[in-house]
This record gives sequence, structure tokens and C-alpha cells, in this order.
Amino acid sequence: MLVPIFSLKIKHKVHPRLVTVGKYDGLHPCLTCATTASKVFVHNPHSPAIAGGRMAVQDSDISLLSVNQSVSGLVAGQLDKNKKRDILCIGTQTNLLAYDVHDNTDLFYKEVPDGVNSLVIGNVANIDQPLAIAGGNCTLMGFDADGEDKFWTVTGDIVCSLALADFNNDGQDELIVGSEDFDIRVFQGEEIISEMTETEAVTGLCRISGSRFGYALANGTVGVYDRTARYWRIKSKNQVMAIHSFDLDGDGVEELVTGWSNGKIDARSNSTGEVIFKDNMTSAVAGMVDADYRLDGKDQLICCSVDGEVRGYQGDQSRRRIVEANRAMDDVKDLNMTKQNLLLELQNYEREKEFVKPHQLTSTEKINEAAIPVGSTANAELIIAQSPDPHIQLVVTSTNDTIVRMVVIFAEGLFEGESHVVHPPQNNLSNKITLPLYPPKDIPVELHTQAFISLPGSCSFHVFELSNYLPRFSSYLPMSRPPKMPESRITFSVVERVQRVAIWFNENFLLKQELTCDDLLEVHLLALRGGDCSFKMDQSGQIEITTDNLELAGDFIQSLASFLNLEHLQTTAHIPMHLKRLEELIETVDNLHVVTQKLAAEMTDHSNLIRSLVVRAEDARLQEDITNMRKGYIELHELNRDLINGYHVRSTNHDELVKSLKLVNQIIQKAAQLRVGKYQSQVVQQCRDAIKSGKMNALFKIIQAGSA
Amino acid sequence: MMDPMFIALSKYRRRKYGECVENCTQILDKNPYDQAAWALKAKALTQQVYIDEIESEEQGIAEMLMDDTSIAQFARPGTSLKQPTSASIGGPSPAVRPVSQAGRPLSGFVRPGTQSGRPGTMEQALKTPRTAQTARLVTSASGRFVRLGTASMLSHPDGPFINLQRLNYGKYAAKPNLAKVLFEYIFHHENDVRNALELAAQATGCAQYKDWWWKLQVGKCYHRLGMFREAERQYKSALKQQVMLDTVLLLGKVYLRLDQPLQAVALYKQSLEKFPNDTTLLVAISRIYDGMNMIEDTTKWYKEVLISDGVNVEAIASIAANYFYTDQPEIAIRLYRRLIQMGLYNVELFNNIGLCCFYAQHYDMTLKCFERAVAIATDEQLADVWYNISHLALGVGDNNMAYQCLRLAVAADNGHTEAYNNLAVLELRRGDVERAKALFRSSAELNPLAYEPHYNQATLSESLGDLQTSYSSVLKSVEAFPDHVDSKNLLVKLKEHFASL
Repeated sequence: MLVPIFSLKIKHKVHPRLVTVGKYDGLHPCLTCATTASKVFVHNPHSPAIAGGRMAVQDSDISLLSVNQSVSGLVAGQLDKNKKRDILCIGTQTNLLAYDVHDNTDLFYKEVPDGVNSLVIGNVANIDQPLAIAGGNCTLMGFDADGEDKFWTVTGDIVCSLALADFNNDGQDELIVGSEDFDIRVFQGEEIISEMTETEAVTGLCRISGSRFGYALANGTVGVYDRTARYWRIKSKNQVMAIHSFDLDGDGVEELVTGWSNGKIDARSNSTGEVIFKDNMTSAVAGMVDADYRLDGKDQLICCSVDGEVRGYQGDQSRRRIVEANRAMDDVKDLNMTKQNLLLELQNYEREKEFVKPHQLTSTEKINEAAIPVGSTANAELIIAQSPDPHIQLVVTSTNDTIVRMVVIFAEGLFEGESHVVHPPQNNLSNKITLPLYPPKDIPVELHTQAFISLPGSCSFHVFELSNYLPRFSSYLPMSRPPKMPESRITFSVVERVQRVAIWFNENFLLKQELTCDDLLEVHLLALRGGDCSFKMDQSGQIEITTDNLELAGDFIQSLASFLNLEHLQTTAHIPMHLKRLEELIETVDNLHVVTQKLAAEMTDHSNLIRSLVVRAEDARLQEDITNMRKGYIELHELNRDLINGYHVRSTNHDELVKSLKLVNQIIQKAAQLRVGKYQSQVVQQCRDAIKSGKMNALFKIIQAGSA
Repeated sequence: MMDPMFIALSKYRRRKYGECVENCTQILDKNPYDQAAWALKAKALTQQVYIDEIESEEQGIAEMLMDDTSIAQFARPGTSLKQPTSASIGGPSPAVRPVSQAGRPLSGFVRPGTQSGRPGTMEQALKTPRTAQTARLVTSASGRFVRLGTASMLSHPDGPFINLQRLNYGKYAAKPNLAKVLFEYIFHHENDVRNALELAAQATGCAQYKDWWWKLQVGKCYHRLGMFREAERQYKSALKQQVMLDTVLLLGKVYLRLDQPLQAVALYKQSLEKFPNDTTLLVAISRIYDGMNMIEDTTKWYKEVLISDGVNVEAIASIAANYFYTDQPEIAIRLYRRLIQMGLYNVELFNNIGLCCFYAQHYDMTLKCFERAVAIATDEQLADVWYNISHLALGVGDNNMAYQCLRLAVAADNGHTEAYNNLAVLELRRGDVERAKALFRSSAELNPLAYEPHYNQATLSESLGDLQTSYSSVLKSVEAFPDHVDSKNLLVKLKEHFASL
């Protein structure tokens, strides 16, 4: 049990995930949270007069900042190296504001049409100033202290979480991005250096130490990665609200602290995931930060609940003894468990000794005793079924008259909720269970199958554990006849033998028989999720991928490049369909921008009028001129209605704009994925410049050829 | 026979705009497609009603109370215009420097915004007496601008010169020579900011976002509409292309509306490097410090103004007022004399010199100055002059004369709260308690933000035994002037008294 060293109550509702701490005067940390009423409050218990003293909890400690838009990102940090104090960055769905709380001045106020879903302040590779990095609608933007966007890149989907950590131990921080398409991507500069696929939207990321970082998913999973290897993960039925890394037991190793939606806080060892401490708040945790809040030279972990309850926990050596005592107890418990298990096993062996002659038993006895013939095995294999539609099937079979009662399959990312159980009705049992598989994404999947096998009628089962490997591109099945040719194609050349590419094919696709070839490789693929494609490679190393699915082509190229160890690869894309779409989108965006501007002006005009009407009506009220007051308020009511109607128009307009922008960003991202290494970041960079300067022809050229 | 176009141009140059418009109309009657005449007419019409955007700024009650643009609601003192620096951190003490009827320390120079403090609630703002001196607009959007716009409409009985509804903005935006004239006409003459914005937005697009002038105009439209963030963006973008004084000053104004005075000061100081010793910038900085009640900085910057512009009336008057209120009337006299040398000849000046002379013990000059002030004063100015003469009378111990003067002051302006207060004190001296009470009350009601009448009322009520009134008055007094020792003592005394009951 964890005991807080201080707790206080702030009379504001705190928005989940929008909690930060900053030293706005350079000395005293101030807890800063976004409230549900689109305000930000700064809790500053340390006015210089009482610095060093105990906290005095008064309402006057709180200063409120109005933002007037719902806050969607909040972070404080040293953005300006020349100022020795922290800057507060506030992100909303349309803007990013960097604000100097101490001086009541803006550093910058930037329009961010892609919205700000997540904010982080820090250094990224190749840029020497600290940046405020905003993750929005498929984009990442980094602004320096002057509001210049020094960093811009695109990612696959809406960004949910951001963290900076030294992923490859090169002494520089990399940007880790969690997005709604379940991916964790690692950016070094504009280039994606690693990509991990999870099972749900990644809602939380935090650095722990070195290349280690914690993550949280929308389905209540928390875990730790070291580089691309996952150390551990646990899943709970509650939502993870916040994760934070903090050394609570004072052993010099940070723990991963998780705040849950039911108010639980638990600290887990970052290498094993075992719970070291826990505590409960009265309501859902809103966020966690660490700061020297008591000004005694030691950092505290500060937890903030959505109801404004704040608790501070101190990292403490003395706590370590408790942990060790606990650990000894646990060890004893573990040993007892092992002993129990061994005893059970021994019992089983003793019983088995009695069945010296199992064949002497009658079949009913056999059933009752749950024996199955010696040599019975279960088999699981992946086959390609052709009817009714082509799809992949997992077939689990058993031998020797036994039946497969039930199959439990664990496969991350294949099923909703990671596991799947097939339990056929009693009258439909056989020695075979088939399960159609439809991989939702192109990722390699390990299938762990448990088959429950018994003789017909028996109530006890033998469990066989089987595993299968579903290669990355298993949802693309080779066809003999060429499909209806899509018009888009990507061509590039590699200096590599055709055979090597054939090996890549064998490893990454589910094939009926191994692919062999000598000089010309031509494969036509049928995609289970629709859209056919074909892959052609000739003797000279010229490769042509024909598909309308740009994302797929990008995946092929990335996978092939990493298989062949290609550092850089430039490709040429002939994608008339996508370019046409892009052109339409850009036109829509332009039109929407014009309309937005007009609508905004109209709205402000109305709201000015409303203000003056309120004052006039109030004036009439104070003079007890009721007729005029009524008139004023009636007018106000009508104007208000107009304003609300206008708002609806504006909001639809904005939604459409956001949607179009997202699509534009996605097309750029896909175009970048078609290239590898420096060419990849080059595409992003040049596309950005082209859009900024409004050169649409250049944009199309970059997307097609990979450079301007 | 001279060319009619030449005549029109000449009239325009000689600022005879009305005649110029007539000439242009005649030309246009003959040839409606004469672009030169059309443009000249629009320009002349604009010039008739042209107001300098930079100097004209007054926040109405609505903007001030329903302000949703500033970020910090309770900013640190010294970083916000909303919470002026109090006496304890270097601001002027109300005991030394009196406050205006709206609660701001008296400034040396009257300009938009100096009269008004920042009221707390709407009720307070509306209830603050709105006399001829303190009246303020409901909003700036509906007050000055709309009135001017309609006035100009009236002068055209046969309809407006350009029908905005039927204009094809895209067509005009592509013609830079006409677009600029048309924009100014719409913005200043028609005062239709939304349409002006549409034209400017299209024109800046036609200029490929390379013309700082259009960006400045788009910014001005946003500014006028109250979209300060958008205005800021346009101004900044314009500044990046071309550093112009106008743009800097307007951007500073945006920061002031966002209640970020330090940002504005930083901007001005940065621009001073481009425009060294520019008076408008220096004055703007001084005004900001003045708004934050930081008297020392104000004076410092006004002195900077005088170094580069020795005849700046605002700077001289402000510095003089500051000297006067910091007990150096001799220096104040020298500055005011300089104003006279410069040719200023008005009531306030003579009145101030009179006061300075009195406190500097130049008694011979004092009466002369006041005589002249009375001679040239209008009714509303007269009250202040008589009020100041009453001070002189009190100073020489002539209570009767003081009484007469105060009576005259009240007669000239029946909203003169200081006069009521002083009159009440004199009445009290004479022993007429009831009348004194009544006068204190009216004084307190007329200016709830000055502490003296409240405190006086409290002491009087306390001595009469009316502790409840005394308590409520002293609370108001403490609120108006938190560091006033006598009020605090009285409050403690009253509390003790209530506790012993």
C-alpha cells in the first residue's frame, strides 16, 4: 500500500490526460491541468514569500487561463533555451499556443488545421533547438520558440500519443508515435526507423530509461518495450488513463506507474511487470507527473484525479525494505505452489502406473478414465480454401478415432480480443475443426492453438498445444491466371538475383508450394480484402508492382527492402487514380478554406452584436425599463439562434476540412512509404514545401518520381 | 476650358473633397466607364470620413466585460492591463494622486482609454455614473463606426455611389490599381468590414500573398471584427515582408487587446531598432506603462520621447503631472511654461500652472492664472477650475471663500464628486451634520471608486453612533484603497466594537 506524503483538493474538474507540471518562474514547479470547462488552471502554492514552507492550500493558489476552445493537448517545458523557465503549450483542435505564464505573453499562436491530439516538448535528431511537437490528424509538426515549423512529417493515422526516448541508444532522442491504427512508429528525424503493431489504439506512451518505454492501449493493456522487443504486458478491464515512469522504491530503477479509470494507481517493475505498490483514488486518475513539489530537493510523483484530488508520493529507500519483505513472502508462496504442482504430478504418475494394461479395459472404462490411444496426435495446419470464396483456413485434426472437442487460439491482432474459441455443438463433433481466417492487417502472426482431444463421449480431455506461423502477406493468395490489371503501378530496380526475391516470397506469403524460378518472376496475387495485384521481376532486377492499393505496395517495398538490406531505394510510381483523387482533395481543401474564412468573419460579427445587445438589455434592466429590456432580449434570442445555425454550418465545414486534410496527409504518407531511407524523408519534406508554396504540379511530380 | 479631370485632381489635392466629388460625378455622368474619375471619386469620398486607425481606439463596455480574448484571468501584477499595479508594488497611491471617476489615477494627458478603469462586473460598469466626462460606448463595433457610416450615407440622397451588393469582388481584386481604392472606400466610407474583408482576402490571393499592404488590410479587417488572433497572423506576415510602423503599431494594439502588454512593449522595443527614436513607438510604450500604473517607467519613456521630439505635448504634460504629484511643482511649472511657449492656450494649462504656482509659493502668479482659466473656461471645465481655487482658499485659510468656490463648482457641474466631498467637510466644520451627511452620500454615490467620501462618511457615521453605515462605508473605502491605514484602523475598531456587543 502506498501512502501519500501530501494530498490536496483543487475545486476544478480535471480533463483526463491533460496534466503537466512546469517551472514557469524557473524555480517553483506548478501543477497545470486543463479543466473540463475549456480552461487551464495553474496551481502555484509557492509564492516567493513562502518558498520552502509547507503547502498552504488556498483557492488563491490557483490561477485560471482561458483558452475558449476545448483543450486537447497540454505540456510545459523549456522551449526557449534563452529563457531559464518553462513555457506552457496548449493545443486545441485548431490551434497551438505557446504561452509564457510568468510574463503573460504569447511566444506564438499557430493555426494547426490538423488539430493537436498530443503534445511533447524536446529535442529531435538534426534540429538543435527544442521543439514543441504536436501530433494531429496523421501529421506531426514541430515548432521552435519563434513558432517556425522546423519539423513536419506524416504518419499513418490519427496520432493518439507521443513520447521522446532514446530508442536506438545513440544519445539522441527519437520520437515515438502511437496512433489509432494500432501502430507504434519510431521516427528519427522524418524517417520511420521502426514500426510495431499492437492490438488496439495506442493511447499512452512514456519513456522509462534508455531505449525502454512504456505503452498503454485503449483496451486496458499496459506494457513495456525495449526497442522492438516487448518485455511484458498486462490487460485489465479498466481503462488506462495515464502512465508514468517514476522511481518509487528508491532503488535507482524506475517503475512504470499506471493510473486507471477506476481510480487505482499501481506501480510495476519495468522489467517483470509485477505490482510493487498500489493505491486508490476516489475517482478516475486524470494524469501523473513528477516534480519537486515540496521544494525539499526530492521529486515526488504527483497524481491528479478527474475530481481535482491531488496526491503526492515520495520515492523512498525505506519502502524498499517493505518490498523486499513482500518479495520474500512471495517467494515462499511460489515455492509452495511449485511443491503443490509437483505433488499433483507425482499422483498422476502413480495412477498411470496402475494402467499397465490399458488394452484390457473396456471402451466405456477407457472413456471414463479419459485415456486416449497411445500415439494420438493433433495437427493444425493452414490451408488455402477455394470455396465459396478463396480464404485461409485453420484446420485442426486428430488421429486414432479421437475427436476435437474444442479449440482455443491465441493470436495477437488476428481476432478481436486476441483469442478465439471454437466449440462445436455436441452433435457435430468430429476429428476435425476448421476455422476460416481473415487477417485484418498485414502483419506476421503467431498462432498458438490449444486443441482439446478425447474419445467420443468422454468428459476429460487431453490438451495439445500447437503453433502455426501466418506470414505477413498471407492474405494475398497467388493465382494462376492474371487478374484484371489495375492501372496503377510502381517500378524500381534492385541489384539482386531473382532467386533471392523468390525466397522473400516464400517467407512472406502463404504458398501452396515453394516458388522457384530462374530468370523471370511473375506472380499474380488475389487479395482477400479485395483488389488484386501482381508482382513482376525480370533478369535485370527491374521490379514492377501493379496494384491500386498504394499502402500495400508500400508494405511490399518496405518488407522487401528490409529483407534485401537496402538502405535507400528510389521508386517511380504511375498512379493516375490517386493523383486525380489528390487533386480533387486539394481543390476541396482550398474551397473549404475560403468558406471557413467567410464564416468566421460572419460569426465574429454576430458575436460582437450579441455583446452589445446584452449590455443594452442589462442597461435597460438596471433602469427598470422592462419594455426595452424585453425587446433587447428577444432580439438577442433571435440572433443567438442565427449564431447556432451558423455554428452548425461551420462545424460541418470544419469536419469536412479535417477529413480532406487527413486524406491528403495519408496519400503523402503512402507515397513516402513507396520509398526507402533518405528518399522516404525526401518525399515528405518536398511534399511539405510544395503544399506550403502552393505548387500543385511539383507535388504530383514528387509523388510520382520521388523528388522534385 | 480646363480639363474637368484636371480640375477634380487639383481640388482633391487642395483637400476640397466635396467639390472634387461633384466634378467626378459630372465626368462619370458623361462616361460611366471612366476608371480614373471613378477611383478619384472613391478616394475623395474616403478622405471625407477618414479616421486614423492607429489613434482611434476605445473599448466599449461590452468588449471589456465579455472579454474572451485575453488568456490569463488573474495575471501577475505588472503583466496585465486588467490588474494595474497597486501602490505597494510601485504604483501611485490614491492618497497622493487622485483617481478619476472611473477609478484610474489621473493622467497628465487625456486620450482614449485614460478615463476608464476596468470595472469588475457588468452591473458595476453600467451603474458607474455616465456623465459627460465618463460616458463610454456600449461597444466599439456599434458605436463610433456605425454612426460614422450612416452619417456618410445620408449625404447621398440618390443612393450610394457604389452598390456593394452588386460588386463582383473577384473582378476588382485582380486589378490592383482599382482594388486598393475600392477597399479603402468600403472600409472607411461604407464601413462594411465584412465586404472589405472579402475583397482584401481575394486581392491578397491575387497578389500571390506577396503584397504586405493587402496583408495589413486583411489584418485591419480582422482587427476591427474582433478576430485578434487572425489579425495577429496577418500583421506578422506583413511585417515579415516589409517592416512598417503602421503594422507594428497595429500589432501592438492587438497584443493590448489580448491583454499582453509586455508582449506589446517587447515588440515596440524591437521595432525601435529598425526605427530608432521614433516618437510614435516611444509614446506607445509610455502609454502601456501608464496603463499598468507603472509611473516610473512611464516617465522614463516619456523622457525618451522628449529627447527625440522636444515639442510632444503628451509627453510634456504627463511628465509635468507626475512631477506635480511627486511634490516637485517647481519643475512642473517649467514644463507647463514650455507648453505655453509652444502656443497652447487652454483652461487646463492655466489651471495647472495656477496650482503649481500655489504649491511652489508663487502666490502672485496663482490668482492671475486662475483668473485667466475662469475667463476662458466652458461650463464643464469651470467646475474643475473652481474646485482648484477652493484648494487655494483652503490653503490660505479662507474657509468662506472655499465654501463659495465649491458651491460654484457644484453649480457648474452637479456631478463633481470631489467638490461634494470637500463641501461636506466644510459643512461639518460649520456644524451642519445633516447636510454634511447628505453631501458625503452623494459624493460616494457619484464616484464609488474614490476612497475619500467613503472614509469620511464612515468616520462621521461612527462618531454619530451609526455603526452599520460606518461599517459598510469603511468596507468600500478599504476596497478602493487597500493600503489606507486610517480606514483599516477604523475597520479594526468597528470589528472590536461589534465583537464586544
